[in-house]
Amino acid sequence: MDLAVGYGRKTVVAGINQEMLKGQFICLLGPNGSGKTTILRTLSRLLSPLKGAVYLNGRMLNDLNSVELAKTLAVVLTEKLSAGLITAFEFAAMGRYPHTGFLGKLSEEDIQKTREALLLVNAGDISDRYFNELSDGEKQKAILARALAQEPEVIILDEPTLHLDLKHRIELIAILRNFSREKGITVIVSLHDVDLALKILEIVALVKDGAIMAWGPPDEVLKEDTVARLYDLDRARFDRKLGTIELINSSNGRTAFVVAGGGTGTPIYRILSRSGLRLMTGVIHENDIDYHIARSIGATVICEKPFRKIKKSRLRRSSTLLEKIDDVIDSGFPIGSSNRRNLKLILNAVEEGKRVYTLRSRKAAHNLYGESAEKLIYCGGCRSILEEIMYRET
Amino acid sequence: MPHIAKNSLLFPMLGLLVLVSFSLNVSFGSVSIPFDQITDILQNGPDHHWSGQIVWNMRLPRAMASIIGGAMLAVAGLLLQAYFRNPIVGPFVLGVSSGASLMVALVTLTTLSLGFAHVNPYISGIAALAGALGIMVLVIAIAAKIKSPVILLIIGLMIGYITRSVTGAVIAFAEAERLRGFLLWQMGSFAGITWEELKIMSIGGVLLLSGAFTISKPLNAFLLGEDYASTMGVNVKRFRLLVVFLSCALASLVTATAGPVSFIGLAVPHMARLLMNTSNHRLLIPASALLGAIITGVCDLIARMVFSPVETPISGVTCLFGAPIVISLLLKKRTAS
Repeated sequence: MDLAVGYGRKTVVAGINQEMLKGQFICLLGPNGSGKTTILRTLSRLLSPLKGAVYLNGRMLNDLNSVELAKTLAVVLTEKLSAGLITAFEFAAMGRYPHTGFLGKLSEEDIQKTREALLLVNAGDISDRYFNELSDGEKQKAILARALAQEPEVIILDEPTLHLDLKHRIELIAILRNFSREKGITVIVSLHDVDLALKILEIVALVKDGAIMAWGPPDEVLKEDTVARLYDLDRARFDRKLGTIELINSSNGRTAFVVAGGGTGTPIYRILSRSGLRLMTGVIHENDIDYHIARSIGATVICEKPFRKIKKSRLRRSSTLLEKIDDVIDSGFPIGSSNRRNLKLILNAVEEGKRVYTLRSRKAAHNLYGESAEKLIYCGGCRSILEEIMYRET
Repeated sequence: MPHIAKNSLLFPMLGLLVLVSFSLNVSFGSVSIPFDQITDILQNGPDHHWSGQIVWNMRLPRAMASIIGGAMLAVAGLLLQAYFRNPIVGPFVLGVSSGASLMVALVTLTTLSLGFAHVNPYISGIAALAGALGIMVLVIAIAAKIKSPVILLIIGLMIGYITRSVTGAVIAFAEAERLRGFLLWQMGSFAGITWEELKIMSIGGVLLLSGAFTISKPLNAFLLGEDYASTMGVNVKRFRLLVVFLSCALASLVTATAGPVSFIGLAVPHMARLLMNTSNHRLLIPASALLGAIITGVCDLIARMVFSPVETPISGVTCLFGAPIVISLLLKKRTAS
């Protein structure tokens, strides 16, 4: 029978039938409220299944006594912990609970195991500080060390990256991967970061609308349309090749045309799109990072096949688009034989009296554009392009 | 465990202070008795001196009762604070004292016990015990069904309100001269305790305090909350019933002998945490017991001496002297949540 999880009479996710193997790193992805936490709580026996059962090493979860279970399974919950006056070491040592005697006195072995756990999560230096005085990142490490000190075969973590900054987020995922690869611990985790999931995880499960939408290796499961469906993305788009999510450029305001290439356009797209400008860009080769970013933020892109010289027809199409546009940006793209024709776009724009902003130095511009270089607007960086555009608008 | 080295000195010091508080309680009173006479009575029994009865049958049981009772109340409060993870919870929060009050009000203020009260001098003690244990059984029955600590806490508070409202009705119909006695009982006093009562309270107290010490491991696990505790291997339901039983039984026994002595159970656990600088219950339980003993002993002495020969209720003293101490400790050190 399939597993169904939920609270009371309310089923949250049903039809779950999956096998998780030793040492696998499994991640549940899904929007808020999709039932990731409910699934994890059921796997941890904090909730009883509504239908079906959870098996651990071939035994039904409900048949294990609480100490047996604690020796096999450690859990990290989302709630923010405040643990009273105990040090990070004492906190991590709580993981020894199922291993210590009646009064919970720590043996030499328990102390050793706790130290090792703290070292493994790069938290050796915070042992003697009080848990409540640690930063969120340090707390999360102590919490991980506690789970590890329990010496489990499985660790279940509910949104462990929730309160962390990017650095600690990446460090935490790396530590978890370490658990699964080197210690052979099965790690089951729920995450929000699709980008991280794609790059690091072995198995992802997509949870949506009361069911597991997909289950498998991330490169098979995480396709553009699945991710969009998973999170109901209509204002953002997921790019599978890059593993990033970009906000869709959806403004109806002013339009700017970016002549880009070789990745020089990416920061400009992001900053202009964020400020509500509509974007067009060209002519970009399809193997260029600018192409992927521009597409995923929803800019109008005029593109050329990889490594091929830009065709005249593409140039003409760009010129047609440029007719109604006053602001043109030269991203300072590198020039080679295949994209030399892009310079023509800029020269035409200058001749037609458009405002052309460039990130090149005056000297480089003179070499490229000759006389016309005098009429360019020189910008020190992406932000000053934006400032110039905004300034000239008023 | 960095605390243990420092704390190994603290425990003997606390033990010493318990002895000091005990000696002061035996030595001083409204009647002044020479010191050598007191030591003689303590060694050779009460029969050789005019003051024998005072020291042996009044001061001695009272001093011991205040010390043991204080330890019991402090630990009862500590258990509930740990279980509910709430620093403003005390031993009477589940309604034990209100149950006791109701029964005492019924037997002392109404005509239910007419004539009977004079037959049995222990009547109010027995009534208090019955009321307190009755509430304890009720709360345990509820605790067996309710999973959430917060809901259990609220139900306990509600039971308290219900019993108090009935007590209020009884008070409204009571005769004025009986009322004074009841009101004083409600503020607690270790006066007039007999060796019999002391024996029951101490045997029960020692058993229950040892019981409390044996659950210090799950109490520590509960620092992380019920969910974490259960994933670490704590049998949550059994633990919940044990905590409710131990704390209510401790509070009931003290209430039966001394009335609802307030404040000790709420404040002493905080003092213990701040003094020991830890939330480790293996240290906090003995520390709270010792501190509770010292503070209750000293407060009882003050209650007796300050307007001697008139006694003030001990709750007046515990609150008046204890509250500022707690406030200043909390302001000086990190909070003990």
